[in-house]
Parts: sequence; C-alpha cells; structure tokens
Amino acid sequence: MTADLGRAALETGEVLVVERLGGGLLELVVRLPHLAATAMPGTFAQLRCGRGTTPLLRRPFSVAWTQDDTCGFIFEAVGTGTRLLAGLQPGDPLDTLGPLGHGFSVVDAGSVVLISGGLGCAPFPLLISELRRRGVEDILVLNGARTAARLYPAERFARPAVPVVAEATDDGTRGHHGPVTDLLREALGASPSAVYACGPNPMLGAVMRTMLESGAALPPTLEASLEAPMGCGFGTCLGCALPVRGEDGSTVWRLCCTDGPVMPMRDVDWEVVLALPGADVA
Amino acid sequence: MSGQRDGSVDLGRGLTLPNRVGLASGTAGYGFELDQLIDINRLGALYTKGTTVLAREGNPPPRVAETAGGMLNSIGLQNPGVDAVATDYAPRWRGWTIPIIVNVAGGSVEDYVHCATVLEPVAEVAGIELNISCPNIAQGLDFGRDPAAAARLVAAVRAVTERCLIVKLSPNVTDIAAVARSVEDAGADAVSAVNTYIGRKIHRASGRSVLPLGTGGLSGPAIQPLALAAVAAVCDAVHIPVIGVGGIVDAASARDFLIVGAVAVQVGTATFVNPETALQVLDGLRD
Repeated sequence: MTADLGRAALETGEVLVVERLGGGLLELVVRLPHLAATAMPGTFAQLRCGRGTTPLLRRPFSVAWTQDDTCGFIFEAVGTGTRLLAGLQPGDPLDTLGPLGHGFSVVDAGSVVLISGGLGCAPFPLLISELRRRGVEDILVLNGARTAARLYPAERFARPAVPVVAEATDDGTRGHHGPVTDLLREALGASPSAVYACGPNPMLGAVMRTMLESGAALPPTLEASLEAPMGCGFGTCLGCALPVRGEDGSTVWRLCCTDGPVMPMRDVDWEVVLALPGADVA
Repeated sequence: MSGQRDGSVDLGRGLTLPNRVGLASGTAGYGFELDQLIDINRLGALYTKGTTVLAREGNPPPRVAETAGGMLNSIGLQNPGVDAVATDYAPRWRGWTIPIIVNVAGGSVEDYVHCATVLEPVAEVAGIELNISCPNIAQGLDFGRDPAAAARLVAAVRAVTERCLIVKLSPNVTDIAAVARSVEDAGADAVSAVNTYIGRKIHRASGRSVLPLGTGGLSGPAIQPLALAAVAAVCDAVHIPVIGVGGIVDAASARDFLIVGAVAVQVGTATFVNPETALQVLDGLRD
C-alpha cells in the first residue's frame, strides 16, 4: 500500500525561539504556515539539521503544537543533529518536510488517558488540543521522566486550561516515585475510551504489559507512537521497519514513517520490539 | 548511442531517456511516494527497488545507520515480488512519461531469467537493470564479483528479453573494469556504476555492529570520489553507455560523472534528504 503523502511539502521556516525548559528539554518554535495548517496529532516533520552533509539525514520530530502559523517541537540535544538544532537563533531558516506519518485516531467521547515517558510528551499538546476541539474534556495526562527537571511542565500540555497531569519520576524528585506505568494501573479503573502512549520503545512495552496484566478490558482505542532509526521519512528507503503481528501470527515489518509512527498497540509485536537494540546516537 | 544534443540519452535497443538524470534503485521505491512529492515525470528514468521472484519481507531492524557524510543500509531487498510489480504496479505507471527501468535481483540465473520473462510483455517497463551487486542478501554479490559468472547471467537474461538491459556493477571488487567488459561482451546494452560500498558501523556504547548482519551498503556524498574513480575506470573499459551513480548531491557532483565519460546519472541517497534533489540536478546541468 502506498502512503498518502498528499499534505507533505518542503517548507523553509523561520526560527522564532529555542527555549530551554530545564533538565535538558528544549522547545523549538518555528514559523511554518503550511505545517501549522496541516499537521494532525501524532504526525511528524523531518527537520534538516545544519546545511552540510554531516549529519546527512533529516531528523524526525513530532509536531508538538501549532498556533496560528507557528509550530513547536520538543527535543533534547543528545547527538550531532539535535545539538545543531539547539544552536539555532531567532531568524535562522529551518528546512522542513512535513507533515508525515500516520497520526492518532482522535476519539470524540469518553475519558482518555495520555501516558508519556521522557520525550514522549512531544505529540501530546497537539493531541489534547484536537481532543478538546472534538468535545473531549475528561483528559488525564500521566507524565513520567527520570527526574523532576526532565518533566515537561504540566502547564505546557494545554493553554490556558491545563489538563489534569499526574507525574512520576524514577528518582522520586516529583510526583509518584517509580515508573509512570504505576499510575496507569490506577487510571485504568475509570475504563477510559482511549489510551494514547508515547515514549521510548521499552516504556511502551511496559505500558502494554501493564494493560494486559491489569485484567481490565483493553480500551477500544489503544495507540502508541513508536520510534525507529529513519532514513527518508516518506516510505521509500524502507529503513524504519517495526515488527507487527501478521494475520497468521508471524512477525511482519511495517514502516514507522508511513504505517506509523502511531500504531494500534494490539498489532505491535512487543516481544520483538523489546529485543531491538537501543538508539544509536551519534 | 549515448548523449544527444537535446539532453536525451540513447541507451540502445530502442530506449531513449528524455534526459540524463534518473532516480537510483533502492532510493525511490516504485515511484509512487515520490510522485506525490515531486514532478517525477520531468526526470530521465526511474530505476525501481530491487525486485525478486518472490516477495521479500526484508532484514530485521535496525536497517539504516548514519555515518560521516553518508549512511549504511541493510534493507534486504524488501519488495512485493515480480508478479505484483507486473500486475499491480505496472498499471499505475500508465500515463507516466518517465521511463520505468525495473531493477531485478536474485540468487540464481533462473531467478533473474524468471523476472525478466515476467516483465517482458509488460508495456510500462522500459528496461531492466540487473542488480548483480546487492551487499545485503546471501549470494547478492556472487555474480558481481566474478566476470565469467556475470557474463553467463547476462547472456541468459539477454536470451529472454528484447528490453534494454543495464547491468548495475558492484564496487566491491578488485577490478570493476573486468566485470564491465565481461557483461558488455555478453550482450548488456549499458552499465550503471556503482552500487553501495560494504561498510560497518560500531555502536560505541555496546561495542557491537549497529546493523544486525554486521555490514551494510554505504551510500551518500562520502562515496562520490570512490564512485567517480570506479566509473572512470568503467568508461575507459567499455564502449556501451555508462550511467554514473554514487554520492551525487547537486549538479556539480553529477557533472563530475559526465566529465569522466558517463552519459547519464542516477541520484540516490540525496533524495532521502531532499526529494527534489534529482530535479535540482537536472536544472543545474542545463544551466
């Protein structure tokens, strides 16, 4: 099946600000009228980092939020590409390609739970904004990180009306002391109509395990935004393979960039995902 | 044969490319994604993803790894199989003006002959590019490394196709010119050079290779001088048209291949970075 790239376009944006949020989290704000008008929750843009040939490939980032003609991206400076982005100054041009990918199926009723690990917060402000536009007000955000300074600030998930955000840190410096999946266990008691998850693949595997072990019926909409090393972002290099269960139970590969990044969690072969090596950050 | 004053390229056996700039195999799929992003019909040729007798799921991830000025890939020839290409994909190419050259890969002479036979009656297929140089599947390189084996393969496919037959050469050999001469003698209409260079990247936190099979194919601007040397050697060795490919990122890096004797070029990895690169190369070469 060929991906629908109908909205994707190259667009050179103008950097407005790179805001340091503390704990290494950065928020990049760029004037990108086309992307702002067309991005749906869970879709992403491929950002060119620098103008040279190293790093060569663009980097994929969830569109975190849109406002008028601007878009926000949330990231950490962990490698060559993201360090270049972190060094952008107001007025600098930014070469982008987007929106790309298959985003979240946004429900229009019931209560929803969003669960984030680390940078998994990235697609959620736009998702919350779309949920509210559709009339969903019962939104619980479960936000986990290693330590307090690395938690995406609760008030940034939605403005001006901040949703309910429950926090968890591995070191106990804020909120629940322990993995964010501990909070999910309690939240499932309310029988949410949708659970949306985003974070490192091992965290997503833990979310699925928690859901299954809870004994509660899985919500009708249960989706995760996954990650994979990506070449092009638009379905031609076939580099970003992720394992899903085929009809006969065997593992088949689907592309993170066009079949995902958001996939139904029921379809993903989590055993294979969890066996994949960690990110190769350079 | 070769480059014409209007920019078109006669590759022989009735195939004239409308211009010199094509999209390299493995970097453009079967054209359907790029057709949504660029005016694909302005280009000189689309060389499809490597196509095999049966559908292939491809290699386990990670399949790509970035390197200085380039990338390694180990996709493993994921493709829907030649029957799906002939029956499902070809009708979607109807009305396209860009010549479609199907890249064919296999593990035996019979595999290649079968694919060429299936494609022979398909009107939308303008030519065949024999991939004797894939570094990422078992036996992928066997034909590319042995001039005699390459010649036997080309002769066998030549016997079943009237289509223009291009052979894509591997740079992972001691003497690429010898392989080029051999496939020319066996009936190839043109050669394209080069496929990716075998490379390896170590995941420094673990000390293990990033790619699960250990090695992959290196592409991108890092290989352009290597590819240029290989293409120059091939151009000196054969009389059939040579199509240059390897690390082209702009018109200047493409022109280098024309200067050493190539009649056309393919843009590969640069398309991943900017889908419009091939069009920019085309416009740049006309200036």
